[in-house]
Amino acid sequence: MIASVAFRNFKALRSARIELAPFNLVIGPNGSGKTSLIQAVLRLRTLARLPISDTFAVTNLEAAQIAFRFNPPHNGFEATLTCRDEESCDLLQLTPLAASGELIDWAVLRTRLLTARSYLLDSRAIIRPVQTGGSRELASDGSNLTACLAGLREISPDAYAGLCAELLQLFPEYADLVLYADRGTFSLRLAGGGAPVMVPADEVSQGTLYVMALLALAHDPAPPAIICLEELDRGIHPRLLRGVRDVLYRLTHPADYGHTRSPVQVIATTHSPQLLDLFRDHPEEIVIADKHGRAATFARLSDRTDLTELLAEGGTLGDLWYSGILGGVPEAT
Amino acid sequence: MNGRSLRLALLGESQVDEAALAILVEGILGKPFNQVQPGLRARGWPSVIQILPAIARHLHFNTDADALVMLVDADDTEPHGSHHERPGYFHPRCRLCQLRAVFRRATRHLPLKHGRERMLRAVGLAVPSAEAWYLCGNDDTVGEAAWVEGRVTGRAPYTRRELKARVYGTERPNLAQAVAGATLAAKRHARDPRRLEHDFPGFAALATDLRSWELKPAETDSSRSAA
Ligand SMILES: [Zn+2]
Repeated sequence: MIASVAFRNFKALRSARIELAPFNLVIGPNGSGKTSLIQAVLRLRTLARLPISDTFAVTNLEAAQIAFRFNPPHNGFEATLTCRDEESCDLLQLTPLAASGELIDWAVLRTRLLTARSYLLDSRAIIRPVQTGGSRELASDGSNLTACLAGLREISPDAYAGLCAELLQLFPEYADLVLYADRGTFSLRLAGGGAPVMVPADEVSQGTLYVMALLALAHDPAPPAIICLEELDRGIHPRLLRGVRDVLYRLTHPADYGHTRSPVQVIATTHSPQLLDLFRDHPEEIVIADKHGRAATFARLSDRTDLTELLAEGGTLGDLWYSGILGGVPEAT
Repeated sequence: MNGRSLRLALLGESQVDEAALAILVEGILGKPFNQVQPGLRARGWPSVIQILPAIARHLHFNTDADALVMLVDADDTEPHGSHHERPGYFHPRCRLCQLRAVFRRATRHLPLKHGRERMLRAVGLAVPSAEAWYLCGNDDTVGEAAWVEGRVTGRAPYTRRELKARVYGTERPNLAQAVAGATLAAKRHARDPRRLEHDFPGFAALATDLRSWELKPAETDSSRSAA
């Protein structure tokens, strides 16, 4: 989907560029541009709804600009967002790339971009009963999770069964996921393993609810083309992070797991060294956001030429990051 | 231990390796064992060696574990060569030698409780990772000798990622795929561990440790020379 994003004068990203992989885990201190990267994707989605601007001459060179390039077959052009000021980035232009020639199939790419979604899950929102009916698409805070699950059960019982099986595998203390419909609202409960006890949503742990939301995305027969996840590790036990990574890999590399649907691009942020530990063999999936003074930059961990030697000296990837050797840590005060 | 099942604590770098380790250990011992709960886990090297003294202390005082079985990946560090077994020898870059030494130091001065024998240990070193063990017997290019040769020439015969892809069919196996692949291979080796022992001295060391328990249970550790 998105091959690279280049920022100019966008918030703290004065001059920064990052190539994106199918799966991207972004680490870095607060205010280093992790969220700006996600915001840029969301702005691209918003502008993709509008007609392309043919005003090619951008006069203000100080104007904030975000340039996107895409993976084949959409690599024939660059899409540039230009902002008039901090708040309004409302100019989208397409520039053909000399190497690849013509301006092709923006319409196809556009429909994919329009499905991009960003999530900052909120357990308090998730546990509230929701109206039946409504959108089957998971809300950005996860608030309609129960309705999404009920919708999935209806349109694809197999996918729903797969979701339940994976949920119970990750949380063997439960025996079943139960969706209650009552007077126009849905609520969810988990059946306890041993005794016939129902655990209402407000007693289910935050992490369990977040994992359920991720499973709802992963088992959706038509998931978004791009999924951004803020604070991926939040509330999740460190030993369960491997399972969370598995869920996301199935989205980003469906063919590896026997699925035929299109891959989803995932951009996730984390502050968890334990989650980072799981990417020792895939440094190309780690983006390090850094802040020097007021300027933020991005780098790929795989660009660190001495990474193998550093790991050989001892220390897990998470340890190395925490120590500051890899960057992506708060500046000393 | 007189006839009752051994109580073992297993320590690996992942749930996958621990599942395979349990099968291999049972295969070598030739009988089932009980696993100490809750299961232990380390976050890769060097977390294993950092946490080992605390784990040894915990197992000694708070559990009835007879032994601790450890399995770590060598990654790019020194494989455990046969000369490491010489009395008094200790290779500072060999993780197996390091784990043995740290375990010895951690348990040497623990007071013996009534009815408690000194805790035994067994250590395996997968070179460069446990996936190489899982391929052993099915892929003739994989073995410690090939890896050691690659360390000498500077041309590694394969990477950890390639080994993963060969075992699981993907570089990104999910837990279910990984456990399935690892346990299938472990069962194959448990039935007949000779090839794995021959091709992987880091496994042979583990097997030797496990077999030595039968012979002289309480002396295994002290019979090793000091680091
Ligand atoms: Zn050694």
